[in-house]
Amino acid sequence: MQKKLRDMITADCQEVVGSSPEALDRLRNRLLYVTGGTGFVGTWIAELVCYLNERHDFGTRLILLGRDLDAFRKKAPHLAEKPEIQLVSSDVRDVIDLPAEVDYIIHAAATPDNRQHMSNPVAVMDSITRGTATILDAAMNLPHLAKILNISSGQVYGRQFSAGSAITEETVGALPCNSITSVYPGAKRYAETLCCAYWSSCKLPIVTARPFAFMGPYQSLDKPWAINNFIRDALTDNTIRIVSDGMPVRSYMYPSDMAYWLLRMLVDGTSGMAYNLGSPYGITLGDLAEKVKQYSSMVSDVVVKGMHEDNSVFVPDQGLVSSTLGLEIKVPIDETLKRSLRWFRETVKR
Amino acid sequence: MKNVIISDATLRDGSHALSHQLTREHIAQYCRAADAAGISIVEVGHGNGLGASSLQVGLSLLDDREMLQTARENLSRSRLGIHVIPGFATINNDLRYAFDYGVDVVRVASHCTEADITERHISYTREQGKEAYGVLMMSHMAPKEVLLDEALKMQSYGAEAVILMDSAGAYLPVDVLDRVGHLAASLKVPVGFHAHNNLGMGVANSVAAVEAGARIIDGASRGFGAGAGNAQLEVIVAVFERLQIKTGIDLYKALDAADIVEKTIMAAIPYISSVSLVSGLSGVFSGFAKHVGLAAREYGVDPRDIFFELGIRKVVGGQEDKIVEVAMELQDRKRRG
Repeated sequence: MQKKLRDMITADCQEVVGSSPEALDRLRNRLLYVTGGTGFVGTWIAELVCYLNERHDFGTRLILLGRDLDAFRKKAPHLAEKPEIQLVSSDVRDVIDLPAEVDYIIHAAATPDNRQHMSNPVAVMDSITRGTATILDAAMNLPHLAKILNISSGQVYGRQFSAGSAITEETVGALPCNSITSVYPGAKRYAETLCCAYWSSCKLPIVTARPFAFMGPYQSLDKPWAINNFIRDALTDNTIRIVSDGMPVRSYMYPSDMAYWLLRMLVDGTSGMAYNLGSPYGITLGDLAEKVKQYSSMVSDVVVKGMHEDNSVFVPDQGLVSSTLGLEIKVPIDETLKRSLRWFRETVKR
Repeated sequence: MKNVIISDATLRDGSHALSHQLTREHIAQYCRAADAAGISIVEVGHGNGLGASSLQVGLSLLDDREMLQTARENLSRSRLGIHVIPGFATINNDLRYAFDYGVDVVRVASHCTEADITERHISYTREQGKEAYGVLMMSHMAPKEVLLDEALKMQSYGAEAVILMDSAGAYLPVDVLDRVGHLAASLKVPVGFHAHNNLGMGVANSVAAVEAGARIIDGASRGFGAGAGNAQLEVIVAVFERLQIKTGIDLYKALDAADIVEKTIMAAIPYISSVSLVSGLSGVFSGFAKHVGLAAREYGVDPRDIFFELGIRKVVGGQEDKIVEVAMELQDRKRRG
C-alpha cells in the first residue's frame, strides 16, 4: 500500500481518537479476537488498534479470523506484517476453541453483500446463525472474557412504517418471514436473540451493534449499493443513474468513526444492550449524487430517472449512543465523500 | 400522463424470424429509422443474444461485433441494447468487447426460475457503468410468487429493471395484470414486459402491463419477432397515444421504420399460424417454430403434436435438441400405431 494512503488512514485514526485515548484504556495489553477479521470491519479495527499501539503504547494484540487471508495480505500488507496481529484461516462455523487468553471478542463474520444473500441464502443463514452459536459456545470457556461485541445489522429493524423519522433502538418494523429479502435480517435477528439468550441464561457479557451504511477506504466499489455505484461511475466518468425519484434518504458513516464507535461499544457498552452504528445525518440520494459529481469533478451527468416514488428513510437515531457513550460523528458527509474519492482514485488506479 | 420506455426488439427477436440472417444493410437502415423515431432502446443481435450463434440454435450471417458496430454507427439518440443469456455469452469472450462497441443497455436473461445465473453478468455490466436489466424468460412457467423471488434476486445483483418475457405468447391480459402487478408492487426497480402474439394478445397484453405498473414495454416493428411475432411496436405507440401514455416516439417516423422492416427486411409479415397458436397454447417458446416445422417435415409428424409434447415436457429455450428427440418419438409412436 502506498505511504500516502497509509498516512491518510493514520490521520483518520488520529482524528477519531483525538487527545483522549484513555477512553479506550481498557484495551491496553488485552487480546481481541475478531471474527470476520479480514473484512471491512475487521480491517478498520486492526487499523485503529495498530494506531493505538504505535502512538499510545496500548500493547493490544489482535487475532483476525478470516477465510481469505491472501486477500487480506494483498489489501493491507502493512497490517498483515504487524507482530501484534495474528491471522487465522478458518470459517467461523469451524471454530472449536478460542485461545484462553482472549479478553474481548468482536463477532463480525457475515457478508452484507445482498447479492450473496439472494444467491446463497441457505449458506448465508447458516453462517450467521451457526457461526454465532459456535462463537458463543466457545466464549463460554474463556476465563478472562471481558466483553463480546456482536455485529448485527440495521436491517433488523425491518420495514419502517413511519417514514421520515430516524430509527431508534426501540423501533420494531415488519420483517416478512416468507420473503427472500428477509434472509439476512432474519438471520441477524436470530443471532441477536441468541446473544440475548446467552446473556440471560449464561451471563455472557454481550453488547450488540447495529450497523447502517458506510463509505470509505477498504470498501469495494463493486458492491451493488447506491453510493458505491455513484463513486465508481464518477471515477470512470460514466453517468450516475438513479432509478427512483432521488428522494430516498440514507446516511453514511466514515469507517474511522465506525471503528472508534465499535471499540467504545466493546469496552463501555452495557451488556444486553443494542446500539445503532451509523451517521444520524440523512441525505437524499439525489443530493448525494450531486455531491459525488461535485467532489469528483466528473464531466458526466447525474440522471434521476424518476421511475418510481420512494420516500423511504434509513437513518439511525443517535440519541442512545450519544447519551450513554458520548459518541458523535467526527467525519461529516462532505468530508466522507472527499476522502473516499481520494482513496478510490489511488486504489482503482493501481 | 404516464411515461413508458419502449425497447425495440426488431433487430434481435426478428432475427429468429430471419433464421439470424440479418445483413449490415438491414441493421444500418433500420437503426437510422428507429433513431429518427426516438425509440429509447434498440436491441441488436442474434435472436438468442450475444454469443449465441451456433449450429444448435442457428448461425448468424454476421458475427456479433459486426452487428454491434453497424448499429452503433447508425444510432445517435437511441441507446444500443443487447440480449445476453449467460452460458451463450461469457463475460471475457463476449460481454467485454460488447462495451468496446458502445453497448449502452445489457438485458441479462435467464429462464424464469434461474435468475441466479445472471449475477455475474449484471454485476459486470454495472461495474462498466452501463445499464443492466434482468430478463425472466418463459415467465408463464412459474407462479407470480416465484417470479417475484427471482426478480428480487436480479434487483439485488444490480438490475435497474426486470423484464417479464411472455416468450411463448401464452398470456391473456388477466395473467399480465396479475403477474406484472405483483412485481411492480414489490420491486424497487421498474418492471418491463415483452409480449409475443401467439394468441393475438401482444398489444392488449402490453396495455395491461402498463395498467399493472410496467414502465418498460418491448415491441418490434411490424411485430417482427419469433413465431407469431412480438407486440407490434408502431401499434403500441399509437395505442399508447390514445391512452395518453407518453413514449417520446414520433408516430409517423415509427411507421416509416415499420415500412422499412416490411419492405426490406422481413420475408413475410408475422401472422398467427396454426403452429404459432399451438405454441402459445402449449406454452412453448415461439422461437422453436422453425425448428419444429423442419423436424415435423423430416419425421413426418404433426408439428402441433410436437409443440404439445414439448409443452408437457416443459422444454425451454436452449433445449432445441429436444425438438428432434420428440419428433422421433412421435414418429415411432405413429409407426407402432
